[in-house]
Amino acid sequence: MEVFLQTLVAGILKGGLYSLIGMGMSMIMGVMKIINLAHGQLMMVAMYVTFACFHFLGLDPYLGLFVAMPALFLLGCLIQKYTLNPLMEVESILPENQVLMTVGIGMVLTEIARFIFTSDYKSVQTSYSGATFFIGETSFSVALVIAFFIAVLFTLIMFWFLTKTDIGRSIRATAQDKDAALLMGVDSKRITIITFGLGSALVAAAGTLLLPVYYLFPDIGGPFTRKAFVITILGGLGSTVGAIFGGITLGLAEAFGATYIGMAFDDMIGLIIFILVLLFLPGGFKRLTKI
Amino acid sequence: MKKYAPFVLLAILIAFPLVVQNSYYQHLLILVLMWVVIGSGWNMIAGYTGQVSFGDAAFFGTGAYTAGLIASKLGLSAWWGMAFGGFTAMAVAFPFGWICFRLRGAYFALASLALNEICRHIATIWEDLTEGMAGILIMPTFLSKIPYYYIALALAVLSVVMVQIVMNSKWGYYFLSIREDQDAAESLGIDTHHYKMISLNIAAFLTGMAGSLFMNYMGFIDPEVVFSLHDISIMAILVGIVGGVGTVYGPVVGAFVMVAVHEFFRTGFFGFFKGLAGLTGSEFLIVVAKYIGQAHVLGFGILVVVVILVLPNGIVGDWNKIIRKLVPMKNKGVAT
Amino acid sequence: MKKFVIIFSCILFFMGAMLGSASAADTIKVGIVLPLTGKLAKFGEIENKSFLMALDEINAAGGVNGKKIELIIEDTTGKPDVGRSAIEKLITQDKVPVIGGGYSSSVTWATIAVAQQNKVPFLVNTGSADKITEQGWEYIFRLNPPVSEYPGGFASFVKAVATDLKTVAILHENSLFGQKGSKKFVKQAEALGMKVLMKEGYEAGAIDFKPLLVKVKSKKPDLVYMISYIMDASLLMRQAKELNFNPKLFVGGAAGFTLPEFEKNAGKATEFVYSATLWTPSVPYPGAKDYYDKFMAKYNTPTEYHGAEAYAAMYVIADALKRAKSLTPQDIRDSLAATDMMTAFGPVKFISYDKKAQQNKLPTFLVQWIDGKLETVWPKAVSTKAYVYPVPKWNQR
Repeated sequence: MEVFLQTLVAGILKGGLYSLIGMGMSMIMGVMKIINLAHGQLMMVAMYVTFACFHFLGLDPYLGLFVAMPALFLLGCLIQKYTLNPLMEVESILPENQVLMTVGIGMVLTEIARFIFTSDYKSVQTSYSGATFFIGETSFSVALVIAFFIAVLFTLIMFWFLTKTDIGRSIRATAQDKDAALLMGVDSKRITIITFGLGSALVAAAGTLLLPVYYLFPDIGGPFTRKAFVITILGGLGSTVGAIFGGITLGLAEAFGATYIGMAFDDMIGLIIFILVLLFLPGGFKRLTKI
Repeated sequence: MKKYAPFVLLAILIAFPLVVQNSYYQHLLILVLMWVVIGSGWNMIAGYTGQVSFGDAAFFGTGAYTAGLIASKLGLSAWWGMAFGGFTAMAVAFPFGWICFRLRGAYFALASLALNEICRHIATIWEDLTEGMAGILIMPTFLSKIPYYYIALALAVLSVVMVQIVMNSKWGYYFLSIREDQDAAESLGIDTHHYKMISLNIAAFLTGMAGSLFMNYMGFIDPEVVFSLHDISIMAILVGIVGGVGTVYGPVVGAFVMVAVHEFFRTGFFGFFKGLAGLTGSEFLIVVAKYIGQAHVLGFGILVVVVILVLPNGIVGDWNKIIRKLVPMKNKGVAT
Repeated sequence: MKKFVIIFSCILFFMGAMLGSASAADTIKVGIVLPLTGKLAKFGEIENKSFLMALDEINAAGGVNGKKIELIIEDTTGKPDVGRSAIEKLITQDKVPVIGGGYSSSVTWATIAVAQQNKVPFLVNTGSADKITEQGWEYIFRLNPPVSEYPGGFASFVKAVATDLKTVAILHENSLFGQKGSKKFVKQAEALGMKVLMKEGYEAGAIDFKPLLVKVKSKKPDLVYMISYIMDASLLMRQAKELNFNPKLFVGGAAGFTLPEFEKNAGKATEFVYSATLWTPSVPYPGAKDYYDKFMAKYNTPTEYHGAEAYAAMYVIADALKRAKSLTPQDIRDSLAATDMMTAFGPVKFISYDKKAQQNKLPTFLVQWIDGKLETVWPKAVSTKAYVYPVPKWNQR
């Protein structure tokens, strides 16, 4: 029983972080219909921003959120504006050119990080990094609990933003039907730029929250990109609520897989779920929840 | 002139190892030829049929492990892998395509990426069969590079000719119609699932053959080498797009460019900066040399970004555009 | 214009190639393959610095028989196939008569086959897979002990002190080092009379080890033996502490557990953790402490056993070159085989035992983190501090 409960807690807490990672990807995929294969790398950049703030300015990682998120928002906007948007006008045979472009961007970001910070492992040690509290026999990591609640908070904010504000509605309109949105007077270029920026800012939040309990090196992005698209497909494109479900499902699947099947299967379980969902529940949880 | 270019190129390639005895350059050219095979395979499924695959390494690795396991488990020569590697890769491609071809565009790409990762994990975890991360080592059959060179050349020629024949056949037209508009193709009565399967299996066959060749030539494989997302799957895509998507000779050009660029950066422009730094003794140049040696992935990344922005159809696809840029306007009439 | 561009780039290319290979004839070239970029770059860099430091010392002392040694260091990026390209280049392009380095087991394994086939001696100084010296390849020498011997010091500790350890759980990363090392340890644990409760691999870089640790905890092993890289090691220990998991002993199988970063990242969670190791600055070899201090002074970062291996390897190569009848690979091989010297990494002599050939045999040590410092605790004769055993529970540390 203790094993089961602890696994459940571990899965849900990790799932909270995963939802944040997935939410950004979900928005980008929803609006632009492209897979952002630089998503994990953007998270890596955010983590370095937070790390630099902590290391040089002594800024607490949670305050680092206020630096990393705007910084990544800007970076995301620039990437969209100067590398991805121009591709829309270029004649090419494969529509997947934008996806390939994100691969290139990911490589460039990783190598720039390596130039500046070298390949060394970095980590941020705070007073709460290893802090825990116990409910019964089950241990909770303080940092992960905080991360979980911030993730939920961001989901609520995004949900409000997408349904109640003008920009949010334009984003959803573009996601549903780009041409129709254009006809209705939505500046779709501007919307794509904002969306990419927001997606980057969200993954920046995830990276920053992960930093106190994890560590950092330039190649960290790849696995997280993979997790992000698994979550996105699980949750459904463009759905914030779906991303939360997707994230927690993946977190739980990995945790229970690790406990009851084997830690080595950790990654594979996510990928198999991913293919199953693609095939049997195309559209993900969004199809069930409708939001 | 253009008509004879492939034959001239072939003649040069046949003569190359006889003229250039340096085995380091021979080694690089073997890699180029191997990438021609993989690139042609990718081009078949992605460039001509429009189903972008991020999972070429799954086929490559299967081919390589086929050869490796034949050698390590059955005690036969790894060359038998060349006979079976293509077919085992097809055995992986078949169920995958059967299930996942109902997905379109980016979703198919993601599914193939997942296939890639799943194969890598299986090869890592299934220690009893694959030796896990210890990998499989065989002693190469020949010390000289020349036999490998000609085998690789034969394989490369085979794949280019195969692509050409297929694309000139009825199948080729079906492939293109699927790429241009799958729904329209379907409404015309083309069984798109069937033809996508054919295309994928041809691609898998070629890639698997390249994998077997890799095992025989390199003599060492482990899951991270042959099932690598970055070094195989994405490299295959780069070869395809840099050379030219949907062109027969695109992968040939792409393979050459990518291997050259990789080696160029890895050795720091073939030691150019290091040499210059040594000659002048300049502290600055030593630092530059050091950074360039470390920057090969950065170079790759920038190349990708630039190629996609400037030459979205690759070097072969946008050849006319390049010529227009390079040749001044007034010569244009004369040049063509 | 087009022609001009092509011609110009050709000229540049060949000039570069020529400049690159042009070097003074009165030096002895030695090839080194190391991962200078990529995931393993950190340790590649430590080894690189150590090689260069030893090289400067050797050349400053007059070089080898009046000739200076020149190192040609090739980057393997930590990938076996690139490693093969690199060593091909060293052998055929630069025509080096002897090669060193290698770093990870997989790259080493892939490269030595090329060296053997081309009959160029290769001195392995870090790759620890047992099979490297079990092939009977006469051109391959190894300075460091194979992975199966890493826990040697630990075994004698168990026999003498920790006799109450009855059960063991083994966790390892799924790398060559982890997969092979854990298999060997199963045999060793059984030989020591311990029951192996579980043995599980994981993919390096996992975010959360708690599910795995909970499972281990529920089996109540006396000993937890882990083969992990630094950051996985730090997370494992941190999360074990968070779960209040108290086996009688945590032991690391070298790799990540002995590095300064381990303490930096895991902090208090490292307290009283044991690890097998090959080298610490406090080992009783002449020059060991010296090497550590010189490295610290020169590069301003601490070094560790990989660096010591590289540093010693450079001296072994120089010594072999000094004694070689001529500078052909064959003669250098013969003189390497006759090596018998003392280095900062311990005595070096290539012998054959069990299935291994041309393997240097070294004792291994047991270290323990005590008050945030890595102390050598076993064998007793060389210990810097008394071992702490039994280990107190987490809430009493």
